[in-house]
Amino acid sequence: MPEPAIRVADLRKTFRVPVREAGLAAAARSLFRREHRDVHAVDGVSFTIEPGEVVGFLGPNGAGKTTTLKMLSGLLYPTAGEAIVLGNVPSRRQSDFLRRITMVMGNRNQLQWDLPALDSFELIRAIYRLEPTAFRQTRDEFIDLLDLRELVSKPVRNLSLGERMKMEFVGALLHRPQVLFLDEPTLGLDVTMQKRIRSFVAEYNRRFGATVLLTSHYMADVQALCRRVIVIHHGRILFDGALADLSTRFDSTKTIGVTLRDGTADLSAYGEVLSTEEGRTLLRVSRGDAPDVTTRLLRDLPVLDLTIEDPPIEDVIERVFADARDERPTAAAVAGGGRG
Amino acid sequence: MTSPTASTAPGAPGAPTAPTIGTGPLASIRGWVDLYVATMRISIASQIQYRVSNYFYMIGMVTEPVIYLVVWSTVARQQGGEVGGFTPGEFAAYYIVWTLVRNMNIALTPWAWEERVRGGELSGMLLKPVHPIHNDLAGLAGWKAVVIILWLPIAAFLSLIFQPTYSIEPIDVVVFLVAIWGAYVLRSMFLWLLGLVTFWTTRVGPVFDIFFVAELLLSGRLVPLTLMPDWAQQLADVLPFKWTFSFPIEALIGRLPADQLLRGLGMQVLWIAISVSIVAVCWRLAVRRFSAVGG
Amino acid sequence: MTGTGPAPTTAGGRDLLRPLKLFGLFFRIGALNELQYRANLAVQLFQSALALGTGLAVLGLVFGQTTNLGGWTQSELLAVMGVHILMGGVIRTAIQPNMERLMTDVRQGTLDFVLTKPEDAQVMISVREFRIWQAVDVVVGAIVLAIAVAQLQSGIGLGPGLVFAGCLLLGAVMIYCFWLILTTAAFWIVRMDELHELFDGIYQSGRWPVTIYPGWLRISLTYLVPIAFAVTLPAEALTSRLTIETLALAAAFALLLLIVTRWFWRLGLRNYSGASA
Repeated sequence: MPEPAIRVADLRKTFRVPVREAGLAAAARSLFRREHRDVHAVDGVSFTIEPGEVVGFLGPNGAGKTTTLKMLSGLLYPTAGEAIVLGNVPSRRQSDFLRRITMVMGNRNQLQWDLPALDSFELIRAIYRLEPTAFRQTRDEFIDLLDLRELVSKPVRNLSLGERMKMEFVGALLHRPQVLFLDEPTLGLDVTMQKRIRSFVAEYNRRFGATVLLTSHYMADVQALCRRVIVIHHGRILFDGALADLSTRFDSTKTIGVTLRDGTADLSAYGEVLSTEEGRTLLRVSRGDAPDVTTRLLRDLPVLDLTIEDPPIEDVIERVFADARDERPTAAAVAGGGRG
Repeated sequence: MTSPTASTAPGAPGAPTAPTIGTGPLASIRGWVDLYVATMRISIASQIQYRVSNYFYMIGMVTEPVIYLVVWSTVARQQGGEVGGFTPGEFAAYYIVWTLVRNMNIALTPWAWEERVRGGELSGMLLKPVHPIHNDLAGLAGWKAVVIILWLPIAAFLSLIFQPTYSIEPIDVVVFLVAIWGAYVLRSMFLWLLGLVTFWTTRVGPVFDIFFVAELLLSGRLVPLTLMPDWAQQLADVLPFKWTFSFPIEALIGRLPADQLLRGLGMQVLWIAISVSIVAVCWRLAVRRFSAVGG
Repeated sequence: MTGTGPAPTTAGGRDLLRPLKLFGLFFRIGALNELQYRANLAVQLFQSALALGTGLAVLGLVFGQTTNLGGWTQSELLAVMGVHILMGGVIRTAIQPNMERLMTDVRQGTLDFVLTKPEDAQVMISVREFRIWQAVDVVVGAIVLAIAVAQLQSGIGLGPGLVFAGCLLLGAVMIYCFWLILTTAAFWIVRMDELHELFDGIYQSGRWPVTIYPGWLRISLTYLVPIAFAVTLPAEALTSRLTIETLALAAAFALLLLIVTRWFWRLGLRNYSGASA
């Protein structure tokens, strides 16, 4: 068994945040005596990722995804627990370690704003001490792969958001890192651009066997790239396994789409009607009933078209977090006065 | 993409990173030179686009010594042509060289750290396998190449108006050329150190102000130190400030004998050694603090 | 605020006091906002004290070597310094913050929010910001002035006092015009980051009476950057150096600047609207 690329054991990060009450008197008081509250951003997380795996890291805002990525890349010092990346302790920030990883954050720009990206790439070459011939080869391959040939000699400020992000990826991968931390890399991009970046990451992973840990709000990113997902909520792992198992585990329904030859009919007898649009009706039935319902539909009605699908992954995720609230009343739920 | 071994065995450990220029002392030196040259080129290329901005900066910068120069030449003339050992012509020489030294010892303003920490730029710097001070040192060194070109006509104009009197020996020029870089490195270290205060408090203004007032009075930036009271001169002697202003200026205008020139360079080396050590320790502490509270 | 539909307006036609009312409104908002951060007052007091100490030290250095500078005695120069600090306080309290905000607005395109308000745009952009703590310098300057006047043999009567106040007002108007003309250039030149530093640098020359500067510089500091009018002129009023001709010239120049500024502002605005349409 090879050494895992990333090994995390009971990792924790607690922030102390000052409590500020409204009002002048409270503000004056806080000058002398600050009250603090502990926020457990990451609360005992353990997992291992093998070399070459692409893992999606899912969770709502504030779940602890970014905090975990920052601990793995050495930007944050863990409060407790252990993180080993490529055999290194990230928080030591040894340069040999930093040479083997990269982190891409959406909406962050580390290329020189006023200059063509090519100039920034030269600087990156010097920073990582890359051998010039191999560097040029890698650079040109990436540029072609992302279709950037025309744009590399334009000042970065004149590029669109998507074009900038593609450049950002080239810059972040020029040193051919073995571990990629991608934090919302497609944030704010249009669908075509998202696809382009996705396939680039997939290609990079395939060619270089690199390990990728990715967070994204766009489920399409996760579905296209990750066979495995880790779901995190309130700093704890709720699920760690194959993406395909996520729906079986948290959502026991199937969606059946039916189109009838002679228009619509009331199908509520077969299952829960989700919608009826342009002659197509969507039914929700439990996973076990699906074969039976399908048989009855085909037997009873003039069916033109019939599909059986897993529910959209977004719905599953929503359900995961809803379940989490049921299982463990969290601070947020209590504060909101919710039943959970 | 043509990649060696990795594509055949996805998931194999040790998928290769890009080849580097290698290790060993020679490669190491080549790497550093390469890094500095690349950073300076980037800096020059982007600064050239801001000529208007840079000229504004230059005019604002030149106003300061011109004010001092006018005031002190007026005083010298009223006192029968000399004050504190300076004639109006020598004051002119002092303050014109001042403008060059000022351009050379410009370092990263400590205010920049506020934006670096809050704007997330720092995270990017920490992910790089190089200490970020090199980026600042090389970047501003490149910027100087641009402003020196802007400075030349201004220096010519000032010389025409104020008629400086120099008595420059070759040795003065040699020492000056070394001393301005010493001044740059030394001042960079102290301003960097000052900037790191940002990691511990958000009210950095008063701390910065104290530093800059002390520098103004005790470095020779305001007046040649010989015009200061004795106690202030003695104080200036044990502080680092004068080695970043007064020393390179007086070296070039020929006011220092050979032993003073050597002593000055020695003091620069000493202070650079001290400040580099403090920066190394404080940077470590600052990063530790940053990585404890947020990134 | 009551009712729906367009709110009733106070008066039709041109309201000459409107700028003052707007200023009062924004002043209150700005002051309330900054009052929340009282620690900033301590910071400002500290910074003003440090600057004052530095100024006094420089003055001490000069008068350690001589008894007068270009015909000005130490007390008279103290008066110049008082005006310089006071005017600097006015600039940083009310003028500079507005101009910097305007520059940001032009760069980010948020000036549209101002242009869609039913007020005169120039008035709006000139009164939006008010940094109450910076006004510490106005107080410090006034104290320095008072000390200087007490030291002067002549003392000061009601007449010269009024002339002095008038000169201060003229000076502030001219500095405002100067800043607005430069800032309006931001409609064409988007990046002017160093403008603030540039002005601060040049403004330092006002610490000394402009009469000590060589001719070309004196003229620049009078008509190009109106520091002579803003600082030296009021100080001359206090030290019985001011002639009626100079005063008339200052008033005429202020009026001219106001007209030019208005014209240039409108030109810039037209250019801005044309570009963003």
